Amino acid sequence: MTTDTREREIDSMATEVTVCRLDELPPGEMRLVEVEGRKIGVFHAEDGELYAIEDRCSHDDGPLAEGEFDAAACTVECPRHGSLFDLRSGRPKTLPAFQPVETFDARVEDGEVKLEA
Amino acid sequence: MATPEITVPPLSPKELTEQEKGLKDIGSDYAERFGFHDPETGYAYKAPKGLSEQVVRDISEYKAEPEWMREFRLKALEHFQQRPTPKWGGNLGQIDFDNIHYFVRASEKNSVSWDDVPEDIKNTFDRLGIPEAERKFLSGVGAQYESEVVYHQVNEKLEAQGVIFTDMDTALREHEDLVREYWATVIPPNDNKLAALNSAVWSGGSFVYVPAGVKVEMPLQAYFRINTENMGQFERTLIIAEEGSDVHYVEGCTAPVYSTDSLHSAVVEIIAKPGAHVRYTTVQNWSHNVYNLVTKRAVAQEGATMEWVDCNLGSKLTMKYPSIYLLGERAHGEILSIAFAGAGQHQDAGGKIIHGAPKTTSSIFAKSISKDGGRGTYRGLLEVAKGATESKSKVVCDALLLDEASRSDTYPTIRIDENDANVGHEASVSKIGEEQLFYLQSHGLDEEEASKMIVNGFIEPITKELPMEYAVEMNRLIELQMEGSIG
Repeated sequence: MTTDTREREIDSMATEVTVCRLDELPPGEMRLVEVEGRKIGVFHAEDGELYAIEDRCSHDDGPLAEGEFDAAACTVECPRHGSLFDLRSGRPKTLPAFQPVETFDARVEDGEVKLEA
Repeated sequence: MATPEITVPPLSPKELTEQEKGLKDIGSDYAERFGFHDPETGYAYKAPKGLSEQVVRDISEYKAEPEWMREFRLKALEHFQQRPTPKWGGNLGQIDFDNIHYFVRASEKNSVSWDDVPEDIKNTFDRLGIPEAERKFLSGVGAQYESEVVYHQVNEKLEAQGVIFTDMDTALREHEDLVREYWATVIPPNDNKLAALNSAVWSGGSFVYVPAGVKVEMPLQAYFRINTENMGQFERTLIIAEEGSDVHYVEGCTAPVYSTDSLHSAVVEIIAKPGAHVRYTTVQNWSHNVYNLVTKRAVAQEGATMEWVDCNLGSKLTMKYPSIYLLGERAHGEILSIAFAGAGQHQDAGGKIIHGAPKTTSSIFAKSISKDGGRGTYRGLLEVAKGATESKSKVVCDALLLDEASRSDTYPTIRIDENDANVGHEASVSKIGEEQLFYLQSHGLDEEEASKMIVNGFIEPITKELPMEYAVEMNRLIELQMEGSIG
């Protein structure tokens, strides 16, 4: 199975959930949600965009989303060992993590934050 | 142990090799060779004992640093204060973090000529043989005394080729953009408690930048000396080897013998770009009142080779596990680690290699020698991550116990997430056997000489990787440690 077909399959199985109202998630804030047993952090960056990543550091599987969120640089720092992740790509900018974490689509619809996971 | 009664004629004298001549010249013990200290007259600045936000702000202000570095330090201090002291490894509970001077400036300036270095300090480095070594076989030298580098010089030809070898404080002033691009990307401040401490109060260390394709033929050396009692030395080293470059960096460390403890906690980050070759050699010979808690980590990109040669002879407690992240295809990593634990010493050493890309290869060879109740620990990690297909690695750790009172432990961790990885692990613990001693004594060696020969044979795979001058020094140090150990 090629990566493309795998991604399409995952897409077709994606679940859309409502996270909260947008005014409950102002820029600089993060909200943790659970979708089908998976924890996902939804971040509102200073550029006005919403970003969502899995709440699991690729270094040692510890929680990631509640680390320090830099809304201007669009990064989150793993609270356990300090790896800095780019929220846009899910890629680590510093060690000890070196593999990306999963990212998800988050958007605003009718004043509500929607997440596809 | 009784000497077997057997008489054999002594071996006829033979021509000595250079290395053996070096070995014959065993001078004094540590206290005389390295354990002396200088008066502190003329010191430019000595921070009061203890760690606080004010101390961190003072260091940053004293160095006239940019704001981002001050913020980096203050954030790291928070991490240090929030993190618990590790309970694993050695006993860190005895360290009194409030009884340490975190910053001591011995000289107002960093000189490029030994003649400009304050006399006491120059005499110290003369006694340690640094200027002589520089003339003979080094491409560049940095000498750090207390918190800051007092002498730095690099071969002019290398400078003309764009090689930067300077102390970290100067690098931050003169190459701020380059430093900032790579700073703490390999070891973030919140990596562990001691890395956080270093990030908060760092001072000195080396900055090395080797442009693409440049081969630095002779080693660059840094020498670290602690002089003050209850001192904390927190140097920070960053090495960037651009594509296809080649560099060998060597560091040595000593300190005076005091009855109370000092702390050495360095952070060393290395980036080996595609096809680069970096070797980092340490001969650590701190006095037995120094806690040596160091974080060293390297990244090897595609086709790059990274080698750590890590020799731990001194200190009260060393906790050091140089690591290599093999993040590009066909990158190669090697760790050679040797630890010598004598009375009152705990050497908790080893290495970590993480295979993060396909076709990467690595090896870890670790040797420890324990005597007189000393404790040698091998602690290692070998990880083959998902996606690192066709990776190969070999881990060998051997321990030699010289008496019943000494201790050796091995804590190897191997994690493999790929099916086709080829990983080998061998471990051995041996004692100096009476049979080996008897055999050598029957050839005319006394018991002490026989033991030294067995130990030298045991560590030879490591010392043969050192440049000749360091191999001789290493053997001399081992001989010193071994003196009087039998009987």
